[in-house]
Amino acid sequence: MQISTNQFYSNTASLMQKLTQSTNDIQTQISTTRKYAAPSDNVVAYQQLATIRQSTADGTAYAANVSLAQSLLQQSDSALTSVESDLTKASELVTQANSDTLTDAQRKTISTQLKGVMDDFASLANTRDARGQPLFGAATGDSAVTKNANGTVSFTGTGTPASIPIGDGATIQPTDSAEHVFGGIATASGTSDVFSILSKVTAALDAGGSVTAAAGEAGTSLTAALTQVTGVHGAVGARAARLDLVAATMKTAATDLEATRSEIEDTDISTAVIDLQKMSTALQATQASFTKLSALSLFDYLK
Amino acid sequence: MSDLLGIGASGVRAYQSALTTVSDNIANATTTGYTRRTTTLNEVVAGGGITSGAAVGVNGVAVAGTARLADAVKAADVRASSADLAKSEAGVTTLTSIQSALTGSAVGDRLADFFNAATAVAADPTASAPRSTMLEAANSVAAAFTATGKALDNVAADLDVTGENGVETLTSLGTALAKVNDGLGRATAGTSGAAQLQDQRDQILDQMSAISDVSVTTDAAGRATVRLGGGSGPLLVAGSASGAVTYVRDGGSVSFAVHFAGDITTLTPGGGALAGVSDGAARIADARGQLEAIAGNFTSGINAVQAQGADLGGKAGAAMFTTGVTPTDITLSLTDPSGIAAAAVGAGTRDNSNLAALASLRTSGKFESDTTTLVAGSAATLASRKTIADAQSSIRDGAVAARDAVSGVNLDNEAVDLMRFQQAYSASSRVIQVARDTFQSILDIR
Repeated sequence: MQISTNQFYSNTASLMQKLTQSTNDIQTQISTTRKYAAPSDNVVAYQQLATIRQSTADGTAYAANVSLAQSLLQQSDSALTSVESDLTKASELVTQANSDTLTDAQRKTISTQLKGVMDDFASLANTRDARGQPLFGAATGDSAVTKNANGTVSFTGTGTPASIPIGDGATIQPTDSAEHVFGGIATASGTSDVFSILSKVTAALDAGGSVTAAAGEAGTSLTAALTQVTGVHGAVGARAARLDLVAATMKTAATDLEATRSEIEDTDISTAVIDLQKMSTALQATQASFTKLSALSLFDYLK
Repeated sequence: MSDLLGIGASGVRAYQSALTTVSDNIANATTTGYTRRTTTLNEVVAGGGITSGAAVGVNGVAVAGTARLADAVKAADVRASSADLAKSEAGVTTLTSIQSALTGSAVGDRLADFFNAATAVAADPTASAPRSTMLEAANSVAAAFTATGKALDNVAADLDVTGENGVETLTSLGTALAKVNDGLGRATAGTSGAAQLQDQRDQILDQMSAISDVSVTTDAAGRATVRLGGGSGPLLVAGSASGAVTYVRDGGSVSFAVHFAGDITTLTPGGGALAGVSDGAARIADARGQLEAIAGNFTSGINAVQAQGADLGGKAGAAMFTTGVTPTDITLSLTDPSGIAAAAVGAGTRDNSNLAALASLRTSGKFESDTTTLVAGSAATLASRKTIADAQSSIRDGAVAARDAVSGVNLDNEAVDLMRFQQAYSASSRVIQVARDTFQSILDIR
């Protein structure tokens, strides 16, 4: 078949253009470290990468929530430790007050101390957490507990504090309401709360006279309260442990996602460099053979 | 002896003509659309007459004309493969633009950012910083949808320009071809003038086939009759009359028509750039429809979630997004971060249960995966079009090679011809010299 002169030139030009295009593509892959420049380069990879990107972004958002929840639970943990030691102290004070050897004046002093413990509880419950909210706040209310003018303390809001999302469909309750910590204690005279128990016993101590009945009931109630707080404390610990697990899983998942992403879209530099070398060798050879062939002409021999 | 002189002279004349043709081929070796020519030489037979029965005499050589080494079938192959390739290439151009339009603003990533910002608000519903971040993310989503919609509009506008240019070029090529037809009707067959006109005709037909598939028939004089969009399509050129092609956009679809001699016929191009244009218009409309569905579901879904919740002030949430003329024209109507309805009605400021509703909307609405599917679908079509275009490019190259094998100029061949005709020319000159010498020897007899 006859190759027309024009075709010889245009063929060579288009061949060299294709080779240059290939070397340029590899060059881009090397310099961007990405194998694919557009979704059409590999549609399956694009879809996988889109899912990975979304999962990674979700993971980052959830990880932030997990670490916030962890800090809130830690704060609850230390607060509850204080509550426990204060409750133990209150129990000791009540037992002490029950002693027959004490005078009314001495019992009043104990009452003052117990009122101090009550204040401690109120301020612990109202402590601001990492979000600036009352640590033991309920779903509603600006504070956890309110100190009334008559010296009693009541729960400000109602409801369970909101759980926060830590994964797809997974949530965790990072704090507990004051009512859950201090309230709902079964006593001899019905369900009561730590503040009422303490108010009642301090009133009896302040009134003077025999405190045996009041102190006895308060002692039992405070023991029940301590059991409840310990239970809440345990739950907080369990939730913190769950979060530690979640955080560890998230870290592994993030590492796995990154590994998958890299496997899908990162340029294998050594292969790419070898390919580039191959392409440029071919390009050089094409240029050399073109130069040789185009120099061949019968006209050179016409003398 | 005068015969010998005559034969010599005819040879000189014929080979001069042949050398001219070879020189013409050499000079036009790289001219686009030039078809290789040869000089057809015929032996001149001078008979003694039918009646005399005398021996046939030989009276030299004569130039019968300039032959054009064209192959109509191979030329038609080139046109058909060019039309197929042009269609795919136009499709690839549009689909590439659609792909950049859909991925440029990264709608999917912005949606993920928005929902993840909501996750952060859920952790701390009363704080202003996460709320501001969420509103910013909402603004980015609105901007991404709007920009993607605009980008698709731009692709459609570019496509219109391609379509308009295509029909204008086709019309003017038709006018030019009608003029060439006119010239061919008056040119003498076998002259280099006629060959030149035929070159022009074939070149125009090649250019036409890049715009639309053409069906060509030629008469004895070489005048082309052109139908667009296949053998039964509308007539564009017949003899020295030509029509005009028009392009009309109607919403998402485009159409073509040919006006010829007062008649208007709809053109359905099966190949060439115009076929790519109507295909591209359908693709753009499809992508736009899918994007608008995602955008519409997203804005109405988010606004519904807002409406069913309570904001930081305890009031029912106001609409977060407002849509303009099209569902993708989204603006952020909620400007106050405390207006985000994170809480359920009456549940207090620290509640985040309405954001859980937002998270379930994310799952049920599938906005992100729908966006990915939209991009992936378009990308898959683009990838297959590219593969087809590559194959068609090889087919076209093959067709061009086959045509050029016949009608292209090879300089080495021309060099051989040059030598051959030069030698024949010299030899004919020798014949004249010999005739003169022989005649002289008779004259020299004393």
